[in-house]
Amino acid sequence: MNIVVCAKVVPDYEVPASDFELVNGRAHERFTRVIGLYDENAIEVGVQLKEKHNGNLTIVSYGREDDIPVLRKAIAMGGDKMILVIGQSDDPYVIAENLKMAIEKVGDVDIVLAGRQSADMDRGVVPGILAAMLGYTFVPQVTKIESLNGEWKVTQVTEKGVREIKGKGKALFSITDDPSNVPRIPPVRRILAAKKMPVEKLEEVKPTSMAVEELSVEIPKMEIKCEFLPTEDLKETARMLLKKLKEERYL
Amino acid sequence: MKTLIVEIVDPARLGELYTVSKFFGETPDLVALGKGEVPGGFGKVYQTEEILGANIIEPLADLIKSEGYEAIIFSSSTEGNSIASPLASLLSIPILPEVIGIEEGPVIKKPLYGGKAIATYKIETTPFIITVRRNCFEKEELKGKSETVPLETKDKKLELLAEREEKVEGIPLEEAQVVVTGGRGLGSADGFKMLKELADLLNGAVGASRGAVDEGWAPPQIQVGQTGKIVAPNVYFAIGVSGASQHLAGITNAKCVVGINIDEEANIFKRAKFGIVEDYKKVVPALIEVLKEEKV
Repeated sequence: MNIVVCAKVVPDYEVPASDFELVNGRAHERFTRVIGLYDENAIEVGVQLKEKHNGNLTIVSYGREDDIPVLRKAIAMGGDKMILVIGQSDDPYVIAENLKMAIEKVGDVDIVLAGRQSADMDRGVVPGILAAMLGYTFVPQVTKIESLNGEWKVTQVTEKGVREIKGKGKALFSITDDPSNVPRIPPVRRILAAKKMPVEKLEEVKPTSMAVEELSVEIPKMEIKCEFLPTEDLKETARMLLKKLKEERYL
Repeated sequence: MKTLIVEIVDPARLGELYTVSKFFGETPDLVALGKGEVPGGFGKVYQTEEILGANIIEPLADLIKSEGYEAIIFSSSTEGNSIASPLASLLSIPILPEVIGIEEGPVIKKPLYGGKAIATYKIETTPFIITVRRNCFEKEELKGKSETVPLETKDKKLELLAEREEKVEGIPLEEAQVVVTGGRGLGSADGFKMLKELADLLNGAVGASRGAVDEGWAPPQIQVGQTGKIVAPNVYFAIGVSGASQHLAGITNAKCVVGINIDEEANIFKRAKFGIVEDYKKVVPALIEVLKEEKV
């Protein structure tokens, strides 16, 4: 089984809003770079599939060359190979077209996985666009995959519960978090080996971007000042809080 | 602008998308997904029992092309996320997801970086697709019922084997006026029992942070945040919740946030109107006790 996981390196999503800073509409360069929040869940699902089916797992990314050290974590987690298309477009069609090029280079890929959305652009549209470009069936918000003889069964998390969905053939699943796919910490020997793994670098293709103009990116103003309530007598604190909530007509 | 809404038969979701459609002028047509009576107010209404995205994309693409729809609106939901982006790709048209604001142009606003920034975009062509974040637009009250014509689907790519609804007792999170949410700071699944008692006394609903869901203490269906439920209560109790931006993105429209956390540096206090720096195991029982006394 040939598995590809698409992973994106993004500015550290743990940076609190109060420290966040923009330069030219994008996160300041000073923030640490990390693999996207849900992409790590996708890598974990990919590794589990690889282990179960004795498959091959390729990590594919579109982004900056200096992010390679960050991407090596995906190799340490269980990736066998890595392809990076070097480019910096934020357009989902450009990103998808470049990921498609890299996936086609891998060869006959059975399953492509991606995080449900990146932690910078917050869109979640690249996986679906890529699936359509590849001609793969697309199912988003998947937590678990079972695969057998070209057929697969996936668990999809919905707003109200879960769905078990069956399909066959080549497919792209976007992965959401679940206790079953919380990334395992890679062993030290794999972390060390990952540092030496060669990375295949590709030049980007430049298809037409979608007809959307970005007018501005701003940090919303937060003008809330927290009133800390005294805690010497917690019953009194509770009474005070409920009184304030009622007085201000929140309750 | 000729507008099409694609949505499951759910009055709340349909009402929100109807409000959004008004920015584009004409009475919207609708593709209603799933069974059930479709509320009134729409132009032409198509209906299919199919709810799995991959089975609907091609007939939808054909319909959009043949009818010449210019604005296609989904909610940012499982169904919207399943259909909108591959459909956009198939039609080679722009897509802007997670819309939280619209002005003339159309100019739309959406969050970036887990809600730490807001981007404004101008869509320069038609047709285009948007997906709309839940609870960011008022619900239009849709009266009456619509006559529907079937939308034929063929070549099924996916088969639904089972659908299980996670039983969440009481008021749905998105509609609750009081939400009591627990995070990793609760320390165990048991903490949620205490939160449920508090929520019941306040006629509210229980939520969970991603951390608590990842620990397996709470089901994903009650996860509040950017990729979970978007809530807009009058009061939001964040208990043992650190306040990661992805979580805060789900409570942007909460009117009053109460933070209860042992760590006074926790980010939640930057969003909270009221803060209590103390162990929740002491604070929540005190709140429960006082509420019970008040009810007597």
